[in-house]
Amino acid sequence: MIRQGDSPSSSIDSSGHPCPSSTSSVSRPTKKDLSTDLRLGIISRTISSASSGSRYDSSSSAAIREHRSDWPPIKPLLRSTLTGKGARPLQATFFVKVYMEGIPIGRKVDLFAHQGYDELIRTLRRMFRTTNIICPDVAQVSSNKAHVLTYEDKEGDWMMVGDVPWEMFLTSVKRLKITRADKC
Amino acid sequence: MAAKRRKEMPEEARSPPEGRASPFPDEVLEHVLVFVKSHKDRSAVSLVCKEWYTAERWSRTHVFIGNCYSVSPEILVRRFPNIRSVTLKGKPRFSDFNLVPPNWGADIHPWLVAFASAYPFLEELRLKRMTVTDESLDFLAQSFPGFKALSLVSCDGFSTEGLASIASYCRNLTELDIQENGIEDLSGSWLNCFPEGFTSLEVLNFANLGTEVNFDALERLVGSCKSLRVLKLNKNVSLEQLQRLLVRAPNLRELGTGSFSQEYSPRVYAEVENVLDTVEDKGLEAVGSSCHLLEELRVFPADPFDQDINLDEGISGVTEAGFIAVSEGCRNLHYVLYFCRQMTNAAVAAVVRNCPNFTHFRLCIMNPRQPDYVTREPMDDAFGSVVKSCTQLQRLAVSGLLTDKTFEYIGTYAKNLETLSVAFAGRSDRGMQYVMEGCPKLRKLEIRDCPFGNAALLSGLERYESMRSLWMSACNVTMNACQLLAREMPRLNVEVIKEDESDDIQAEKVLRFLESWLPISCQICYIDCGF
Repeated sequence: MIRQGDSPSSSIDSSGHPCPSSTSSVSRPTKKDLSTDLRLGIISRTISSASSGSRYDSSSSAAIREHRSDWPPIKPLLRSTLTGKGARPLQATFFVKVYMEGIPIGRKVDLFAHQGYDELIRTLRRMFRTTNIICPDVAQVSSNKAHVLTYEDKEGDWMMVGDVPWEMFLTSVKRLKITRADKC
Repeated sequence: MAAKRRKEMPEEARSPPEGRASPFPDEVLEHVLVFVKSHKDRSAVSLVCKEWYTAERWSRTHVFIGNCYSVSPEILVRRFPNIRSVTLKGKPRFSDFNLVPPNWGADIHPWLVAFASAYPFLEELRLKRMTVTDESLDFLAQSFPGFKALSLVSCDGFSTEGLASIASYCRNLTELDIQENGIEDLSGSWLNCFPEGFTSLEVLNFANLGTEVNFDALERLVGSCKSLRVLKLNKNVSLEQLQRLLVRAPNLRELGTGSFSQEYSPRVYAEVENVLDTVEDKGLEAVGSSCHLLEELRVFPADPFDQDINLDEGISGVTEAGFIAVSEGCRNLHYVLYFCRQMTNAAVAAVVRNCPNFTHFRLCIMNPRQPDYVTREPMDDAFGSVVKSCTQLQRLAVSGLLTDKTFEYIGTYAKNLETLSVAFAGRSDRGMQYVMEGCPKLRKLEIRDCPFGNAALLSGLERYESMRSLWMSACNVTMNACQLLAREMPRLNVEVIKEDESDDIQAEKVLRFLESWLPISCQICYIDCGF
């Protein structure tokens, strides 16, 4: 079969530029670390095509189930649109640090990729594997296990997340902290 | 230019009038056949007798090849001398989900080379899941002076440079349709390449290109192409710019802006609805109560990777309730694609009771092997009710926890089924055997991560020649069975894609026999050994 010389398979990639692992035409992902892989009995195939971008989401960690590039069956272009990571390479991002009290290693979250507080809370719950993060405007039964989301503003003060409109929040937030409610 | 005539045919191919099957001259038959358009009808015509085969091949102007490996370019041009329009499909559908390695094949270039020599007056090319390079696009643009329509759907390998070649050289271009391709957006300046005095464009679709296009060039183009009737732009065009374009396009009938509908907006006359599952069940209720004419519904997950963590606010997205609500209001539904996180057998049964006219039923319960969340039973009865109620069903995609019973239902009832997609389902070879034995119209079968093995594969021996393709990956098929299949069915194209020890994936052609006299729609098996 006649094969054209390897033209770089195009990459619609979340970060907007080809990932290091996908520029070579014989690139393959590193063998998966099975011990941290929660597979639900799925036999997974480690096929990564350059056109799908990185097989592993850049913000995933071993604690979070892998984002499979072959399930659910959604086309890559649609997939990147749906997960909020646009195909456009020039999309602006606004990453801030997030720490959870008691965990020395922090995370980073892109606030521009979220449309509002609800989405942010959902992301943080996933990142930190807890359902108990609350905002003032979300009705919650308070328990001494609840975590409260706070942020440091431009003046250096720590404030509860959710009091001001989202757009205003974006202009003043510097970083986030998830505290235990009984210590607030 | 007049079509090539048959005068060059050797004497013995023309039968004497007394011995002919038809009472009128072949030329008359050819004129009649011009009105036969569908490729299925034409294939039927070609099988009647030798005269009809000959008349048909001389009069065919459009050819559809559902699987580019079913026939070679050389065979195609030898059989059909007067083609003006070609539709070609390449990679297996599962390549959309990264199950096919890169550089697998389906390269358009050898076809273009054959066409340049045999069909210099080619006008239309429609490709799906083919690899197309910029060099190929440049070659295309410069080889066919009368070229009119190019459609590229889910293709890869080219960039906006290739589009620039098309714009520059195709003086008679009426249609440029670029959809869902994995291409490199180098710049938006390809639109500038349409020359001064270019007026012929009628259809322009670049909804999936990510970068800005040069708006002035676009405006100029729309202004000079007075016959423009379909315009689909990408998200980078603002509302104000859109207005400026609309003013200049008096014949526009279809306008799209490439954005995904985020809010449900009940449109009473909508026939096709694509929504994100952020509309949730309430949104679907609204659709059900106002869009009574709805025929097609696609519900996509806003958050495909939100895994099975118990959130206090419950399951996000849509559930079985939304599905039932839509089916109650929209009795004309015949196409559904529904992504969800939970479903019940009872709900699906209710849906198909309300809408028995489904021709396309694609249900994706996103957690593999998930049972009915109320009864904890397999979802067999759900799909059983689908195939029993929807007698016109052509396309089915199944999901959830499924035993062989599902496939027994499918084999027993789904007599019009043409396409079946299966993932993480079944218990034994019997599952696949039921389907191979029971579905006479099956054309495309794609299976991944199922416990179907060699017995299942070989049970379809008789069937594969009437199918377009079979895909099996992460199943229990071994190399021996593939070799046996290839030996027993020499007209099949059997391909094994296997991983070697270093995790490199190589496409290894086990055995490839291409008979020289294939009917134009033959089939291929792609079989990926799971070991």
